[in-house]
Amino acid sequence: MLKKAYDWIDERLNVTPLWRDVADHDVPAHVNPAIKMSAFVYCFGGLTFLVITTQILSGMFLAMYYTPDITNAWFSVQYITGELLLGNVVRGMHFWGASLVIVMMFLHMLRVFFTGAYKAPRELNWVVGVLIFFVVLAFGFTGYLLPWDQKAYWATAVGSQIAGSIPWIGPWIQTLLLGSHTVGALTLARFFAIHVFFLPAALLVLLALHFIMIRSQHIAGPL
Amino acid sequence: MSGGERIPGTPRYRHHLQKNPGTEPFFPNFLLKEWIVGAVFLLGFMLWVVFNPVTLGDRANPDDTSFIPVPDWYFLFLYQILKYYPGPDIVFGTVLVPFIGTCLLIFVPWLDTSKDRHPYKRPLATLGMVLTTFLVIWLTNEAAVQHRAEVASASGQPSAGLPVLPRKDPSQIQFIDTSDPGYKLFEQTCANCHGAKGQGNIGPAIYAIGKYWDASKLEDFIQHPAGAMPPMGTLSNLTQVKEVASWLAKQKG
Repeated sequence: MLKKAYDWIDERLNVTPLWRDVADHDVPAHVNPAIKMSAFVYCFGGLTFLVITTQILSGMFLAMYYTPDITNAWFSVQYITGELLLGNVVRGMHFWGASLVIVMMFLHMLRVFFTGAYKAPRELNWVVGVLIFFVVLAFGFTGYLLPWDQKAYWATAVGSQIAGSIPWIGPWIQTLLLGSHTVGALTLARFFAIHVFFLPAALLVLLALHFIMIRSQHIAGPL
Repeated sequence: MSGGERIPGTPRYRHHLQKNPGTEPFFPNFLLKEWIVGAVFLLGFMLWVVFNPVTLGDRANPDDTSFIPVPDWYFLFLYQILKYYPGPDIVFGTVLVPFIGTCLLIFVPWLDTSKDRHPYKRPLATLGMVLTTFLVIWLTNEAAVQHRAEVASASGQPSAGLPVLPRKDPSQIQFIDTSDPGYKLFEQTCANCHGAKGQGNIGPAIYAIGKYWDASKLEDFIQHPAGAMPPMGTLSNLTQVKEVASWLAKQKG
């Protein structure tokens, strides 16, 4: 039955070569920790993606209860943390996961750097990786404001002041970030929009590029 | 050759000595192993999450300028750089250093163009990255240490549960309602440790404590204080505690 359904789809869309390419490609021995234990350093990139996946999932569930306006934001986070069933665990995953993404991504970057995997012909994938790093930092900056507690508010206030002190374009950047001259209702609304719409879109595109390039260029050979 | 994990007559730990230790297909062989790594990793992550419950601070209060701001830990190294370029030099910390760092990071493949990949064979790149890593870790730690010290020195002495008031010159503190009997008691007793103006001395600063705690909370704290403060301070009875607490509650800074 399943086979029949698959064949029906395959006949029309020819999907077999797509997943066959991913499934059948050979993984070299030097990245396989089951053959050589020290190859675990090649897992950091995959683990970063795993944490990003849990961030997306926990974030989707948090969005069901979070309210992005200044009168209710803090109370909705308080409800998620204190009363909602497993709310503390889901928020905990999102909170600690944010730090874990940074740590794993940093380790992945060190691995790529010290194995010289960014060298020709893989320069572009390094650049995309650096861009992913900046997108993740932007996730951190915008997400930090959303609980609307004291440390969130004042960190954003100082962060935007620093942005505002940049010569010439500073005031424009500050207004773009805050939506007005001070951290307030507009800031929270746009940080929320950036955090859950703009940045995920950018991240998914960059991750797709990152993975497609790995597939077409293969993993760099052993040292 | 696929299924490299099964080379007859060779224990797994010697596979890398073989001429062709064996590649294996991504699916399902390699992916299953990756999932095992991922599952162990997720288990560790979930245990961490469960045993380190996330907290929520006080609700944002734009009027409370005494709060000492600090960014999330992964921005601390950038925050720390700013402190080394005070005044008009701030542009070094806000633009120049981060911009140069970003450019170096993005253009690494065009800066290190040798064919050699082994880290020992390109000492300059390796040394640069090792030093940068240590510098980032050191800056992060330095910022965290300085922030902790700043929070601790904001009051005379940090005390569990007590709101931390910023350090303020006694001449800048104006008490409200100094005809209140609570003030007379404050002068005779509390001021010995907390300073004549409540600016903090042996005990922490309490000059604007009424902004955070009401009279009943203050009464409760004076009777069951934290840190080195004796129960009821040096007040002799509950009536005095009530008088001092109701006067202190009016001091909103």
